[in-house]
Amino acid sequence: MNSYLAVAALVLSVGVMFLLPLVPALAELGRKSDALPLNVVQQNAGDVRHFANGFRAYIKVLEPILEQCLKDGSTASGALPDGVNYIVLGRTDEAAMLAFHPQDANHPLLVLAGTDLIVPSETTFPQDIYARGHFAGGEKNSYRAILGDTSIYLGASTTVLRWVHAVGEFTAGPGCTLYGRLSSDSLIRLHAACSFLRLNAPRIEIGIVNAEAPAHAQFFTGSNTPASPRFLYDGDFEVQAGQVITSDLVIRGKLRIGSGARISGSVKSLEDMAIEDGVSVEGSLISARRMRIGPHCIIHGPVVAERELAIAAGTRCGSVEHPTTVSAPRIEVEEGVVLAGTLWAREQGLVVPSP
Amino acid sequence: MIYFLYAIVFVICVYTGRHYWFTLNRLFGFQRHPYIDIDTADWPPVTVLVAAHNEEKVIANILEALMTVKYPEDKMLVIPVNDRSTDRTREIVDHFVAEFPGRIRPFHRVAGKGGKAAALKDAMASVDTEVILIFDADYIPGAGLIKQLVAPFFDMEVGGVMGRVVPLNAGTNLLTRLLDLERSGGYQVDQQARMNLRLVPQHGGTVAGVRLSALREIGGWNENSLTEDTDLTYRLLLNGWKTVYQNRSECYEEVPEVWPVRIKQIMRWAKGHNQAMMTYGLRLLLGKHRATLRERIDGTLLLGVYAMAPITLLGWTLALGVFYQGVAPLHGVIALLSLTAYAALGNLAAFFEIAAAARLDGTRKRICLLPFLIFGFAVSIFSVSRAAFSQVRDLVTGADFHWDKTERFRRAV
Repeated sequence: MNSYLAVAALVLSVGVMFLLPLVPALAELGRKSDALPLNVVQQNAGDVRHFANGFRAYIKVLEPILEQCLKDGSTASGALPDGVNYIVLGRTDEAAMLAFHPQDANHPLLVLAGTDLIVPSETTFPQDIYARGHFAGGEKNSYRAILGDTSIYLGASTTVLRWVHAVGEFTAGPGCTLYGRLSSDSLIRLHAACSFLRLNAPRIEIGIVNAEAPAHAQFFTGSNTPASPRFLYDGDFEVQAGQVITSDLVIRGKLRIGSGARISGSVKSLEDMAIEDGVSVEGSLISARRMRIGPHCIIHGPVVAERELAIAAGTRCGSVEHPTTVSAPRIEVEEGVVLAGTLWAREQGLVVPSP
Repeated sequence: MIYFLYAIVFVICVYTGRHYWFTLNRLFGFQRHPYIDIDTADWPPVTVLVAAHNEEKVIANILEALMTVKYPEDKMLVIPVNDRSTDRTREIVDHFVAEFPGRIRPFHRVAGKGGKAAALKDAMASVDTEVILIFDADYIPGAGLIKQLVAPFFDMEVGGVMGRVVPLNAGTNLLTRLLDLERSGGYQVDQQARMNLRLVPQHGGTVAGVRLSALREIGGWNENSLTEDTDLTYRLLLNGWKTVYQNRSECYEEVPEVWPVRIKQIMRWAKGHNQAMMTYGLRLLLGKHRATLRERIDGTLLLGVYAMAPITLLGWTLALGVFYQGVAPLHGVIALLSLTAYAALGNLAAFFEIAAAARLDGTRKRICLLPFLIFGFAVSIFSVSRAAFSQVRDLVTGADFHWDKTERFRRAV
């Protein structure tokens, strides 16, 4: 081959190899098909009631129909502009009638009840439900989402797929599987063997709880600002039983807090953290691995475990005046625990029986 | 000379391996977001400092956004740090102060040393809250951002917090689109991987927070630093405080829209970073302090990212030199140098990091622009090298560092 031709061929082939990847690049630069800024959540601040609020806005269009049904004591049905079929129940007996439907049914309707609503067992509701009155669900039901303006009760072994919000109290019977967000403006009560992901309420009761405060754990009185600078320790550490610590603790190892100890600051451990019974902590509890909180403890601040968290019966986290967050990928909570604020298990939360 | 070349290739390979490690961790590893679920708490009082030097085009946007965030009003005070502005910044700030009485306390600085760190240092006299958040004036925080940035401070090991920066003007032109990709790789992959692996996430000085007691412990803001964020990261680390990165705490920013502004920006970053490398590098790696071994290694590598540009240029020069001198180095070395150099250049996230970030962000088409990064790379390698050489020159001549403010492109409100 002619040497000039060879050089030209080389230059050409290298040029093509260089330019080829630029073809789709130039096309995208001209078309700007993916040039918008990344979608950053600006307004939704992660509010647990986001979907419930959205649903309330969505069904606002049906409010006149609901009022009319309530006035007439009638039932109405139809389709929303997006094609979703709905049924509006205006009479107590109409609402209660759902209880007489054959079991194992599937109700593909958006249900709006102006009164109390009782739904039968072993029924699937693939559309959202709104109840202005009390809502009571039978056992082994499956719901997509429920918005209740008063209280909501779910029968044993119920499954919720997306969210529930109750303006009043929310109670889940034993063995419920509660995916998504569960919120109440007053109280959430979960019974044995319920599984959950994200709960938020001024008060969350797990199982049957003792109304009295834990026997030996006490809050500090006065300011919760630690008196001393933080105590930083490299290695495993143990706080002795009954010891009073007036600083923040940062332990770069395993941490054990003996029973009855009182800590006025926050506590962090880089390894597992074990807290024995009757401990009180004014600040936060954070473990970079697993955390076990013993019985009858009082924790004032946020509780975060990066791997697993177990909370024993009789423990209180947060208070109505000072709600807090308890969070870990996997959480096991014994019956008898009371929390105020958010209980958030990213992977799985489970109510376990107290020994 | 040949051994020097081998050493350069080795260092470049180390950086390449580090970037691959980060990318694989981000794609397949355990992801740490320990504080993001804290949505209910007894929120502490917080001061939000907004650094502003001639920011009439953007200051109204951030103050407006801060007045609508979801944080207890009685626990949040905004302090616009108006640093010797000669435009309408003061007038705009004062207008907001009148409109939101008690929620904004202006700090009008009329004299003193130039630079953000010096301005923040002076403003600290007005701060008495344990948690301080810092924003540059061109940022637009979302409603939930303040709580997200405050949440990590419930952890008493945390001294600094950094959120994710997302360009708002991404689609303006080729430069902004390249910077958008670069930011994506840098935050979505690089920073989050360092968080996952308990290495050294870097404080960015904006969309960020610092604990007052930690700041006091380390001696406050360093007004002699060109990049107060890098300086802060290392002083916190050396004193037993962690900086954590919150990938889901995203905030819009404005990136440079013209190359000269970009070049000035990256040169300032490079100089500041190199300054921190000279100040803390040896002490971090070999000194007696509380950083872990992996933090020492990663922190040192992070300090060296901008030094990699002149080192890579030197490597290329040496490779050409030995080739024309007829020296035959190990055959693969030159090829390895070519292959890894592009993947090693520090803050300018490597192309595979950017590809992984685009996938994680769920964007599809913008990845087509990846080949154009070669141009951004070329500009950066020479700009960063130029910054390094001028820094050496300044060191010899004793010249002072000069602070260049980044020009804004938004239309003034």
